[in-house]
Amino acid sequence: MPKNKPKRSAPSIDMTAMCDVAFLLLTFFMLTAKAKPQETVVIDTPSSISETKLPDAGTLTIMVGKDGKVFMDMAGQHTRLSLIDDINSRYQLGLNDQQKMKFANLGSFGVPRAELKKYLDLPPSERASYPVSGIPIDTADINKSELADWIHNARLAQFRMKQEGKVKDEYVMIVKADQTTPYPAVQKVINTLTDINVNKFNLITSMEGGPKKE
Amino acid sequence: MAEIAQDGGGGHKKGGKVRSKKMSTRIDFTPMVDLGFLLITFFMLTTTLAKPNIMALVMPEKDIKKEDVEPVKESKVLTLLLGGNDKVYYYEGITDAKLDSTDFSAEGLRTVILNKMDKVKGQFGTETYKKKNKEGVEEERTDGSYINVLIKPTKESRYKNLVDALDEMAICKVRYYVILDVSELEEKFIKDPASGLKFNVDEQVEAATK
Repeated sequence: MPKNKPKRSAPSIDMTAMCDVAFLLLTFFMLTAKAKPQETVVIDTPSSISETKLPDAGTLTIMVGKDGKVFMDMAGQHTRLSLIDDINSRYQLGLNDQQKMKFANLGSFGVPRAELKKYLDLPPSERASYPVSGIPIDTADINKSELADWIHNARLAQFRMKQEGKVKDEYVMIVKADQTTPYPAVQKVINTLTDINVNKFNLITSMEGGPKKE
Repeated sequence: MAEIAQDGGGGHKKGGKVRSKKMSTRIDFTPMVDLGFLLITFFMLTTTLAKPNIMALVMPEKDIKKEDVEPVKESKVLTLLLGGNDKVYYYEGITDAKLDSTDFSAEGLRTVILNKMDKVKGQFGTETYKKKNKEGVEEERTDGSYINVLIKPTKESRYKNLVDALDEMAICKVRYYVILDVSELEEKFIKDPASGLKFNVDEQVEAATK
């Protein structure tokens, strides 16, 4: 008596549903994605109980690294282009249009004004290894402080863009410093800000549970 | 594994007409799903989905006019000197100020601030004030007497100490606090607490409004 063997075939799974889900997720992530900006400095922010989120408006971020070096980053290509145009003509940096475009697409930067041209000419892969010295701050004379100059002009550029209708809001000022940054370095930045009448700004913190409520 | 179904092709049937091949409409989705998930992984890893938290900070204006300076009651003032090694020195008022030290734990700085608040409340009674609630409607509150906290980070302190101190202000609901620079007097005071704080209010006002 021959055995009644069931017919064997490779199990076939209908992939359509899985494919649907996969592409739905893919679409979601693509639309919500915001490319992580290239980090020129690693900052481990201190934790706080604050639950306020970073606003959607354009931000001007001043970063203070562990060693007290100061970096800057601002949102908006139009503003950055306008800013570098302004800085270039004022301080005779001799940047061409290509270099200006590079600045507009650059993430954070932390080089003195004089080194900017050289820094922009580097291919992106080499910028990470460039010995950045941070944006110089002169606490004695605010008119000589490059940081104050950058912030002031960046805000002016953003204001111009706002008038032209290219951006909606003025910059939200943000200070981002590392947990272990010595206070005098942060103090210099805060003093620079108050010197140019920026008295309201935000400190970036990471999440921490608040105290237990009784 | 899913497979491409290939049994759809029809051969010649006996004596039948030649029919066009019927291809199966089933497509193997596996490579497509693979690609889909690969891209998902890529986007998940490169996105910064979570927005960072922020802590708003308002600094006093640089140019203060002398006539705008409003004296506060000395007994309501608590000065925190943020020192190195996560230590906090604090003193109350200015006359016969006694320097004490604590840390940033819940039993440390928080207790100091809450004790001070209780003390001020006991001395001055509760005070009502108006505050806008979440809907933007002003309402009266009687959360107790306010204290004035001066946060003065020293050169030895780290940025984390400042944020921790500001956190305590939020936790204890301190309404009036300000970040100031440490004066030379206070630096001496930390080194030599026994000799006391020789603080001259007029000199300080002069220095702040020059």
